[in-house]
Amino acid sequence: MEQYIQPFIDVSVDVFKEFLGCAITAERPYLEEKNAVNAWDISAIIGLTGEARGAVVISMKTNLAAKLTDILTGTNHTGLDDEVVDAIGEIVNIIAGNVKRWLEEAFRLVISLPTIVQGPEHSIKWPHDQARIVCIPFRIFENQVFNLSVAIEAVKGGV
Amino acid sequence: MENEAKTILVVDDSRVMRNIVKNTFSYKNIPCEFLEAGNGRDALQILQTKKIHLILLDWNMPELSGLDFLKKVRTAEDYKNLPIIMVTSEAAKYNVIEALKSGATDYIIKPVNEKIFKEKLAKIIL
Repeated sequence: MEQYIQPFIDVSVDVFKEFLGCAITAERPYLEEKNAVNAWDISAIIGLTGEARGAVVISMKTNLAAKLTDILTGTNHTGLDDEVVDAIGEIVNIIAGNVKRWLEEAFRLVISLPTIVQGPEHSIKWPHDQARIVCIPFRIFENQVFNLSVAIEAVKGGV
Repeated sequence: MENEAKTILVVDDSRVMRNIVKNTFSYKNIPCEFLEAGNGRDALQILQTKKIHLILLDWNMPELSGLDFLKKVRTAEDYKNLPIIMVTSEAAKYNVIEALKSGATDYIIKPVNEKIFKEKLAKIIL
């Protein structure tokens, strides 16, 4: 599935630049443990179905989620209010939707509505038969980070 | 007639996105009234009670998706020529083709390029 990871990196860089006016840099992707408890405060999840199955998850700390929402709304946020949840869900929705274009020669994907998980040290329950989960750390605003986790495997055809 | 205020229905389940769309368009010196709906079902109700000049329509929404809303609207004779622009993250070519075949007037992929957005809207609304 590694060949499908680069589009997620490229699209994320483009979306942050075009949608938020922010430069981000990807660090070295790594395989993530299923059900790993993480240090993030909010995760927004998009399910992938169709000719492949999986999910894409963006995870970050509260202060970064609030700062990104400030940029999008022009108003100040400090906690994970409804507008922050909405904004982070929209960011992962735009990433997933744009990745479809880059993967359309491999398979047709259907993306779900975003689901939000929040709370300190939450975990995401990935199905046991899910493809390997690749975690892509991104650096933003010099010293802040967020993760994009991707699991994707073809339902039909060869991957 | 050109100065008549236009009523634009923005249909998106993200309130943040609805505001971004409204703010982007409001730079144009065109008198507009915006109405909002968070899904296709609510948009149908608004359409039945208000005179709408343009619909900006997301694809993925709860209750009734933008595509299903589009298909329903295009079956009604009164709305065959109503401008409906998809504004969605669904960027695959097969999505664009499906929407246009289903009656979308135009298709804009999020994140919205402000220049392209204004050009496309101005063509329709002016």
